Amino acid sequence: MKRWRAFSALVLCMDVGFSMSNSAPGEEPPFELAKKVIQKFVQRQVFAENKDELALVLFGTDSTKNPLDRDGQYQNITVHRHLMIPDFELLEEIENQVHPESQQADCILLIGIEALSNNTFNFTFQGIYSYLCILPYFCVLSLPFPAEDDEEGGGDSDRRGPGHPGTGKGLSREQKESLDLVKHVMLSLDEEDGLDQVYTFRDAIEQLCMFKRIERRPMAWPCQLTIGSCLSIRIVGYKAVTEERLKKMWVTVDAQSNQKEDVKRETVYCLDDDNETEVKKDDTIQGFRYGSDIVPFSKVDQDQMKYKHDGKCFAVLGFTKQNLVRRHQFMGSQVVKMFAPKDDEHAGVALSALIRALDELQMVAIVRYAYDRRSNPQVGAAFPCVKQDYECLMYVQLPFMEDLRQFTFPSLENNKKLSPSDTQLSAVDSLIDSMMLVQKDDDDADQKDIFKVHHIPNPAFQRHFQCLHHRAVNPGTPLPPMEPWLKAALERPDVISERCQAPLEEIKRKFPLIEVEKKKKLKTSAQIFGKDAEEPDAKKAKGDEEEDYNLADIAEGSVTSVGSVDPARDFRTLIKLKSLPFGEVCQQLTHRIEQLLSNKNTHYYMKSITCIQAFREQSVKVNKHSLSSFWEKLMMTWEFLKDEVEGSTVSKNEANQVT
Amino acid sequence: MAEWNAYYQNEDEDEEQEEGEQSGGDYKVTGRDSLVFLVDASKEMFIKGEDGEPSNFDMTMQVVRSVYTSKIISSHRDLVALVFYGTEQSKNPRNSFKYVYVYHDLDEPGAKRVQEVDALRGEKGARLAAETMGSGETSLGDALWCCANLYSDIKLRLSHKRLMIFTCRDEPHRGDSAKDRQARTKASDLKETGVIIDLMHLMKPGGFDVAPFFRDIVSQPEDESELGLHLEPCDKLEDLQKRVRAKEQKKRAMARLNLCLGEGINVAVGIYATAVTARKPAAIRLYRETNEPVRSKTRTFHMQTGSLLLPSEIKKAQTYGKKQIVMERDEVDSIKKFQDPGLYLIGFKPMEKLKTHHHIRPAVFLYPEEGEVKGSACLFSALLMKCSERNVFALCRCVSRRNYPPRFVALVPQREEVDEGKVQFTPPGFNVIYLPYADDLRTLDPPQCPSASQIQVDKMKEIVSKLRFKYRSEAFENPVIQQHYRNLEALALDMMAPEDTEDLIMPKVDQINHRLGPLAEEFKDLVYPAGYNPESKSVAKRKTAIVGGVAEKKPKAEVPEDELRAHVQNGTLGKLTVPVLKEACKQFGVRTTGTKKQELIDALTTRLTDTV
Repeated sequence: MKRWRAFSALVLCMDVGFSMSNSAPGEEPPFELAKKVIQKFVQRQVFAENKDELALVLFGTDSTKNPLDRDGQYQNITVHRHLMIPDFELLEEIENQVHPESQQADCILLIGIEALSNNTFNFTFQGIYSYLCILPYFCVLSLPFPAEDDEEGGGDSDRRGPGHPGTGKGLSREQKESLDLVKHVMLSLDEEDGLDQVYTFRDAIEQLCMFKRIERRPMAWPCQLTIGSCLSIRIVGYKAVTEERLKKMWVTVDAQSNQKEDVKRETVYCLDDDNETEVKKDDTIQGFRYGSDIVPFSKVDQDQMKYKHDGKCFAVLGFTKQNLVRRHQFMGSQVVKMFAPKDDEHAGVALSALIRALDELQMVAIVRYAYDRRSNPQVGAAFPCVKQDYECLMYVQLPFMEDLRQFTFPSLENNKKLSPSDTQLSAVDSLIDSMMLVQKDDDDADQKDIFKVHHIPNPAFQRHFQCLHHRAVNPGTPLPPMEPWLKAALERPDVISERCQAPLEEIKRKFPLIEVEKKKKLKTSAQIFGKDAEEPDAKKAKGDEEEDYNLADIAEGSVTSVGSVDPARDFRTLIKLKSLPFGEVCQQLTHRIEQLLSNKNTHYYMKSITCIQAFREQSVKVNKHSLSSFWEKLMMTWEFLKDEVEGSTVSKNEANQVT
Repeated sequence: MAEWNAYYQNEDEDEEQEEGEQSGGDYKVTGRDSLVFLVDASKEMFIKGEDGEPSNFDMTMQVVRSVYTSKIISSHRDLVALVFYGTEQSKNPRNSFKYVYVYHDLDEPGAKRVQEVDALRGEKGARLAAETMGSGETSLGDALWCCANLYSDIKLRLSHKRLMIFTCRDEPHRGDSAKDRQARTKASDLKETGVIIDLMHLMKPGGFDVAPFFRDIVSQPEDESELGLHLEPCDKLEDLQKRVRAKEQKKRAMARLNLCLGEGINVAVGIYATAVTARKPAAIRLYRETNEPVRSKTRTFHMQTGSLLLPSEIKKAQTYGKKQIVMERDEVDSIKKFQDPGLYLIGFKPMEKLKTHHHIRPAVFLYPEEGEVKGSACLFSALLMKCSERNVFALCRCVSRRNYPPRFVALVPQREEVDEGKVQFTPPGFNVIYLPYADDLRTLDPPQCPSASQIQVDKMKEIVSKLRFKYRSEAFENPVIQQHYRNLEALALDMMAPEDTEDLIMPKVDQINHRLGPLAEEFKDLVYPAGYNPESKSVAKRKTAIVGGVAEKKPKAEVPEDELRAHVQNGTLGKLTVPVLKEACKQFGVRTTGTKKQELIDALTTRLTDTV
């Protein structure tokens, strides 16, 4: 069986000859530009960390160093570096050791490159898909060229290496000829992929600013789709969409030595007592929470008793209408595409029948999916996908009952206070009109999307590599600002920004938006210290009991007025907090007392007495005058109620005590 | 086969990594949620329905049980209490209230409590209830007061307090206006302390009239137009369960953000997770002697000096292209920072531009926060109406938390939907669909296969039609989690064996076969040639592969030392497969803790460069 390797070998050829140093006044010499292109390219390769190998061949060098150097052939060519995985060393060498030299590299040499690369490199890499990328040489005299194949930039372009300058106006016949020649050589070198992208240096640099997108080799997951026990179809699944993560993690190192070996992390276990007595790991066992109970449950028992299943499967449970599977209920973090195996035509036909049947009926298959014996089974939907050049099923995980949280939210439309008026609605309408991200092409019925998210490289990765690269090349300097192109890629397109100015102003006028003054952000200690702070907090509150107000309550900031549940406490708290004027708090309390007294019940009378006590004690502290004025009023009420108080457990005596 | 093996492990690692990092659904918890079930225990509650239907009491107990068990699974830190009123016996903290029976104090539900609720179910349960509690006079005021004490006795901070009254009597005090008044006052006291009172009224002959009494007891709905009182009483367990379920979970915003349409136009919105992958909870370590939980402390110290390292004495590093790149810890954080948290509108796109396969994470839900920015709900509502009417979605850039890199999201409008009973089953708001970046899409090489003919497709259509069903998202339980909790339950309650769980995501093969009848054979005749067996072929292949693989692997796994050294020098170790690398590690006596490819490579590289 032929082993297919997904990495490639790549030879960078750079002309360092004397023609590269020539440039029109005020322009950067092509040599410098070429060097930049090469540097950027190598950088990308270093950070991409794929297994692509790279070699660097310089020609037009003063000396000659290559294995074909015989009988005066292949002169002035230096194999600077053999095929190997690129590293920072290579980058430094390019920076410091590659200089413009004075020899002229001629056309013959160029054609010789193929032979050279074949002879030098291919024998070591038999069977490997070798891929040659040539960087420009002699014809780059009058840069920049307007590029001829100005391909739409974006995600697909970075699969291929940069080519060499395109043809354009202003080229001499001689230049054109040489260019054609180069092109011819390049195309013949690479039949499978075709060097279809031709960039000028400037374009190339722009393209190369982007670090490579993270690539992973698609891995086949062969399985059988089953419908009942009688019908099965062989399939192969590939992860098609998933949130890609960086391949490397940060390693903790000692700040002085930068050695990770110097840092050791250790986890110790201790009892939850005052001494925090440490216990050995071997003296601990595993347990699980069952509500308030903790159940000791050893690993062995757990393995024995856990849910087991037959392993890998893709079994149809039934079929349902596509619209019953809501988009927002997709779970998991991936989409798996299911194809028929490459060599099995019959499976292909059977699968195609299923895909087309589902597509025509607008239905999906609900399936049980298990990756392997060790992983948990899932329930999911297999959507039909019929494209021009292929058909497949797309599998997405669906929720289990345990995953769902059925929240209800107040209605928006049936609420008169909130519902927008017709003028408001038409303002939104024109906003939508102005901000449509699709454009109708004249010749095409299809709409052109001007903001394709799936063509944007993940900005987090780009920034990550940019900073890493900066730190590697310029140690000791602060991190650079974000690349302008990256910043721009995340913004609203200029066309839209311009178009939506007026409608946005209109929205601003039509919809008043007032930020609500926050009484005090509910920032609790629990938020600051994490939820474990909860218990100590409760403890603290207990300890403070003689103060007779709850610390937790104050921290919560919840007391804003004298409530009816514990008016006395509220009153004290408010006085302490001084959040309201004293008079107002007093008024609230008197109001509460009056309310309480109007309830003919012992409990309420008792409550009102505690209120009066609180009032007295605070008034004495703060202000004597208000007390006396209230007291008169209270006594009047008291007298008024006296008859009703009769028969209650509150004796007149008690009432007098209070005063 | 070796390669397949290597893949196998990579895949597994991937999944682990995903699991580790996917904590999208966690909230900042500032306190405990609490829920009190206040259940009427009067004689009326025990009357059985016609045709042997369960009594209202029985139904209530079933619901209480299901809430208990679901709390144990989904939010074990919530506090739940069960209180009966209208009982003959009384049992409450200070025994100051008559006819109130606190069956369960406000606490985390546990196995014992589930059992105790179970005991109250069915015939037997009714008898037990009659024995222990009996039915007596009713004073809802006292009952509510007692509940208020339950809340105030708790020393933990409570973030959400809810009380549900289960009754089938619309006039519990039979017109005693003093008692009615007391109950009203007490109810308003409770509401003032932030307790939300719900009524779960049950069917009674002659219908349940909310108006005269309970209207003043229950909490006002969140906004006036909402039909807070479901005017129809529940008569089915399923309805009751649904109603309780909808109220029982506190909806809590994962984040409150501004949706910025443009300069100075900020709509306050809350982000809610409506579907979060439930996982088996992590194990806790217990001390072997006492079974008490132990706490773990992780310390970082210097290998040589043994002194503890302060955060300032630590840096972070990564190695690329054989070069170690070191950064300060706060630099590592700052790299991830792009903008402050918030949603920023980029523009709108027609719905068909949202591709089914552009899925990387479960969606979240957006609802306006009128409390933060007044006017938010109106603009939000206008956007929602217009987007839905014009069938477009809003494309936004989203930074969900501090120091989180941006993601692009599609805000897909969702109009409110209610069922016949006016119960909302789809809330109004935007679903937030996370969109993939270029890095997240993998390049595949689809095989070229012939398409099926219309006859073959039509036959498959028959099969599809035979196996149609109506998908409901809540229909499937997770067998892994269910089994785990059954096991724990069995251990916690000293049961002989765990209760059986039904695996709902197992295909019902017999039923399917029966329904298909001859169709399966007919289809196979149409697509497969005689003698083609999709199963045997792959099975046979796999078997030989395994046999061959084992035999082959041994010699292949060893790589001559020279070659290895050459690989190390050229940095091409990555070409070798994981088993080969592992073998090489063994060969050189390199001890590795990890099984990741990169770790193996790193270990080998250090070893072999050292000895050169």
